[in-house]
Amino acid sequence: MLTFIARRLLFLPIVLIGVTLMVFVVMSFLTPYQLVSAYIKSPEELKNQSLDDLVRKYGLDQPAHIRYINWVKNLLKGDLGYSKSANMRVTEAISKRFPATIELALFSIIPVIFGGIWLGTISAKHYNRPLDHISRTFAIIGWSLPDFVFGLIMLMIFYGVLGWFPPGRLSMWADTIVLTGDFVRYTGMNTVDAILNWRWDIFLDALRHLAAPIITLSYLWWAYLLRITRSSMLEVLNKDYVRTARAKGLGEKVVVNRHVRRNALIPVATVSGSMVLGLLGGVVIVETVFDYKGIGLLTATGAQQLDYTLILGTTLFYGLLLVVTNLIVDVLYAFIDPRVRLE
Amino acid sequence: MAAAKNKDVLLTVNNLKKYFPITKGLFRRTAGYVKAVDGVSFQVRRGETLGLVGESGCGKTTTGLSLLHLIQPTSGRIQLQVKGKMLDVNSKTIGGLRREMQIIFQDPFSSLDPRMRIRDIVAEPLRAHGLKNRQQRYERVEALLNSVGLGAAHMNRFPHEFSGGQRQRIGIARALSLHPSLVVCDEPVSALDVSVQAQVLNLLDDLQEEFGLTYLFVAHDLSVVQHISDRVAVMYLGRIVEMAEVELLFSEPKHPYTEALLSAIPEPDPDIKGEQIILKGDVPSPADPPQGCHFHPRCPYATELCRQESPKLRPAGEGGHLAACHYAQKLNLNGVFPGETA
Repeated sequence: MLTFIARRLLFLPIVLIGVTLMVFVVMSFLTPYQLVSAYIKSPEELKNQSLDDLVRKYGLDQPAHIRYINWVKNLLKGDLGYSKSANMRVTEAISKRFPATIELALFSIIPVIFGGIWLGTISAKHYNRPLDHISRTFAIIGWSLPDFVFGLIMLMIFYGVLGWFPPGRLSMWADTIVLTGDFVRYTGMNTVDAILNWRWDIFLDALRHLAAPIITLSYLWWAYLLRITRSSMLEVLNKDYVRTARAKGLGEKVVVNRHVRRNALIPVATVSGSMVLGLLGGVVIVETVFDYKGIGLLTATGAQQLDYTLILGTTLFYGLLLVVTNLIVDVLYAFIDPRVRLE
Repeated sequence: MAAAKNKDVLLTVNNLKKYFPITKGLFRRTAGYVKAVDGVSFQVRRGETLGLVGESGCGKTTTGLSLLHLIQPTSGRIQLQVKGKMLDVNSKTIGGLRREMQIIFQDPFSSLDPRMRIRDIVAEPLRAHGLKNRQQRYERVEALLNSVGLGAAHMNRFPHEFSGGQRQRIGIARALSLHPSLVVCDEPVSALDVSVQAQVLNLLDDLQEEFGLTYLFVAHDLSVVQHISDRVAVMYLGRIVEMAEVELLFSEPKHPYTEALLSAIPEPDPDIKGEQIILKGDVPSPADPPQGCHFHPRCPYATELCRQESPKLRPAGEGGHLAACHYAQKLNLNGVFPGETA
């Protein structure tokens, strides 16, 4: 098991080099003048210097391999340039916005994994009976409804009509408390920080703002996981080793929980990886719909304003995230399926 | 079959039927039934091996699975002797009776849970039937693995780390873990290489002696059946057509179908020119079996009587030889002689 993880870790640098190369290739479509912003640390640098000087200073007139090495050196220092749309350095913008997205993603993923598997199991156990039909209808709607449409419907009903779940991350009054005074920002995640500061009013307010984006973001994946679990369970139910388990004289509950579900979870683990990635992609739309200031909204704003630096920075960041997530899923997979552990 | 109260009888099966419904159309109306097992009756005596042979689709595996209620039988009575009493095997009692009757499955590759270690696969029945102490369970598992030719070193491994023959040994250890009196062997060697088949068959022989087991041995390979069985029942289209002691059945078959089956055993000596009886046509569909004797469309000896009336399984010779053929007494059929086949 440990050798398996170690071997996967050995591949990590290679994949990372691949990611940086791809982003770099995209970058080389830009002129040196457009690229300058990806190198400067603040707008101050632009004063008293001509663009040509800056191009020379950062080696943007050099051949590609030297530019690549320089750029990677900057990356390793955590330097991704200055974003004109966010008015701060890209690394700073990402680190400020990322906790909000992580908060949204965690609140979505955890219920999806447990709830989706649970519903899928119920559906498979009641195959072709009313409960199965209900959950399948629920799934087919979620699977077919685009999140920007569903998000707008949610916004219309729960904000426009009922006024329950407002957009944004916090109400005005809570925002003032969070930004000033004794409120310590431990993690940048509003709900967690509110608990750590013993501010239940802020915790509830944060939840109220999170609810609609969470539902919008995760409905699709509830549906997806339900369907995968259901079909996988149905397949495993017909396996010979399930018949063996029955022949042993085990009760139906033990057969389903210990033999069927454990084996049915293998394909579920596989799709969970792509689910996490899909979910992180989905935040771009969902955060835009709900004006939720996370990394998705940051990317969307940057793209609208042709903020190259920011686009490159977030692309690279998403790439890293993708690699790390895949690694986690691979390790998880080996943990679940003993056949993967051997080479 | 007359001696139903025979003390030696371990299992009695009476008129066992399993019909699978065929559904059709938009609303899944039941349009008919596949009569996979159509009124099978037999007895198994304690300590013997009863071979159950027939072609693919004749219902032999369905019979084995129905006995254990792994498939719910449509009707029929199954009784098992437990401590001198004949107990009914039905969906209510089967839970407790699983420790008395176990099964070895055909496919050793798919019948072991890939996510479980060997020790847990073998120990699980013990746990389900009340052996709570983990240490004791694993000790039993180790002893069982030793008796099937594996060892303690294999306990912590997963099924995919074993060969087919080894997996079948694990399947056997699992079946024997509760010390059952009856073991249904559902084609236990048909998925294995020929060289491994012999090893597993000999192991089954040895275990029968060691644990005093009774086997119902389901197979389509006649040489395997001849090797391991004391008595043999031949099935055709969901019914038993002939049943006798193994030597009698092979040397003096009383049913034309048995004769044809026996003539199909490959002859290892090229100088002996055996005559193979090629049956006309295919096995009829069990959803729509022929009138009269099920075998008559393919039988070289069929007469008008065979087309009209279905023959019952009745005595056809000495030593409890039974056959379901109108002409069992009159026909002079060819068998094979012991030692003639490998």
